[in-house]
Amino acid sequence: MEDNKPKILSWVILLAVIIVGGFFFARTAKAPEVAGPISLGVILPLTGDGAVYGEPALNVYQLAVDEINKSGGVGGRDLVLVVEDGKCNGKDGANAAQKLVNVDKVQIIIGGICSSESLAAVPIAEAGKVALFSPGASSPDLTGRSPYFFRDYPSDASQGRVLAELAYKKGWRTVAFIQESLDYPLGIFKAFDARFSELGGKTVKEEFPTGASDFRSSIAKLQSQKPDALFVDTQAPAASVRIAKQVKELKWNPPLLVADIVVGDPKTVSENKALFEGAFGAEFGVDPNNPKFQHLLESYKQKYNAELPYQAYGQTEYDALYLVKEGIAAVGLDGQKLAAWSRTIKDWDGASGQVTIEATGDRASGHVLKIVKDGKTELYTE
Amino acid sequence: MDILPQLILNSLIAGSIYAILALGFNLIFSTVNFFDLSYGAVAVIGAYAVFYFSKLLGWPLFVAVPLGVLISGTIGFLLYTSVYRRLRMRRSSNTVLLVASLGVLTALQALLAIFFSSQFQTLSATSSGERLFSLFSGSITETQVIILLTAVAVLLGLAFVLKLTLFGKAVKAVGDDEEVAKIVGINTDKIIGKVFFIGSAIAGLAAILVGFDTGIEPIMGLPLLLKGVIASIVGGIGNVYGGVAGAFLLGFVENFGIWKISGEWKDAIAFAVLILFLVFRPQGIFKK
Repeated sequence: MEDNKPKILSWVILLAVIIVGGFFFARTAKAPEVAGPISLGVILPLTGDGAVYGEPALNVYQLAVDEINKSGGVGGRDLVLVVEDGKCNGKDGANAAQKLVNVDKVQIIIGGICSSESLAAVPIAEAGKVALFSPGASSPDLTGRSPYFFRDYPSDASQGRVLAELAYKKGWRTVAFIQESLDYPLGIFKAFDARFSELGGKTVKEEFPTGASDFRSSIAKLQSQKPDALFVDTQAPAASVRIAKQVKELKWNPPLLVADIVVGDPKTVSENKALFEGAFGAEFGVDPNNPKFQHLLESYKQKYNAELPYQAYGQTEYDALYLVKEGIAAVGLDGQKLAAWSRTIKDWDGASGQVTIEATGDRASGHVLKIVKDGKTELYTE
Repeated sequence: MDILPQLILNSLIAGSIYAILALGFNLIFSTVNFFDLSYGAVAVIGAYAVFYFSKLLGWPLFVAVPLGVLISGTIGFLLYTSVYRRLRMRRSSNTVLLVASLGVLTALQALLAIFFSSQFQTLSATSSGERLFSLFSGSITETQVIILLTAVAVLLGLAFVLKLTLFGKAVKAVGDDEEVAKIVGINTDKIIGKVFFIGSAIAGLAAILVGFDTGIEPIMGLPLLLKGVIASIVGGIGNVYGGVAGAFLLGFVENFGIWKISGEWKDAIAFAVLILFLVFRPQGIFKK
């Protein structure tokens, strides 16, 4: 009996730990708060090639949150951001969503910026009955994906469609694609291909994995098929620059089509003037005369001492926070109700113009044509 | 348009890069007989050194490039003295050394990302405007011509050192049997240190050339290493010249493979070649 004493003691200690620990956990895993700050989940890329979108996006979110909190928050409660790095890919997007839904227990997630992040986050948000609101994901695959998903950035179906129509009007009948193997570039290709073949054109395509740097043989292969134009379709501008440079080095000068991430990036366009001169793109435009948009530009410059990059995304990111504020004020902090509410947004005036969310969760309205001229992106008028 | 000359040129350019990588890798492997995975990161450090000196400090290239090569060599040497020598003295197995070098690779890549960001950078002065040469119906840039010439120069230089100098004979002796070499009076530690310096400097040179041709990013070390390793194994692991044959074979198979299937699968082609060799001809093209 004497020998059993330490054993019994250790069992008692273990039991005590379990009881106290369980009590502790039960206290921390509490139901949604009704007072104190409101946590908003955020998924965006903060590392990798995609970080160029994530960093300014976080700045815009913070700017909007500060403004909202300064004017009294939502029903007297401040907004706080819980930020997770989705790294612009599905795997990390899913991890980020898991953490926000299951650990932080947010009711709404703003993100992802990249389509891959958002596509991966949708089922997790849906399972946790959390609303997922993307101001940047544009893959057509997200259309009608889930009643919990909505976006105030238009689908690429519109970007691909507008460019396919331009290509056909230009008299091009074969367009070559060099496309990165990710959801966003693939979405543009699919939309372009669908519209272009409908019109009677043909596309040929070479895909490449993210991180590739030698495209010469892929380019040579496309060139040998004598296309009328080349569409450089990448996730981030850096890869587009690499490809455009190697196209030039192979002494090939086809008319270029590029994704909105190139025409929407003044730095890339001006630093690589010679590479992208005359390239066409379609961007979800900004309206420089919109007072809310002007306010965003000015406050961004004031706060961060820099011009707002990727303004087409910046405006929807800014609007997203204000929409969320309105949603919470209207239906309360509840993922399910917020998602249902999103479908009722109609002609809401924001920095990105009038926002209307369709029943599919998509924003109604689309892209306009742009052309690169002398290192600057201009509106293209036929 | 006839695409064949361009594909041949592309294969030669890729093959030259792989050849330089394989030369350095094989030199180290044939001497110490373990897979030094940190080789990839050591290469990239050289390229970032050039980026730092020429792009950020504005030094001329004839200073920045040799300095970059020297830095790669020095880092390789220091890694040997601070990590691998200690492990070897403790008679750690080659698996332990392999895992240690994997750790070094990961840590060095992270350091580069911390100091220089993960973004893609290019070493060439402008993104366009490089001189172009035409060969049949293909075209090749000035940088790429330099890559081809460098590969030849490194091969000849290394062959000269290994065949005709006392140091070369000592390297061979250490690679054949380190204990015996020690007994006959060779300072094996010093020889291995030098081998690490030379091999790493060659690696740095390869990464610098890649940086001028396409660009650099911290995580490029692993793909560079893998291409060097595949070339070495296909050519005959431990056979310094075999790696060159393996490199060009790899360059041609990769670039001609794209001709039939999408460029997306380039790496898959490279590894398929590796597996075929490992299964059917494990000794490689040339035996050690």
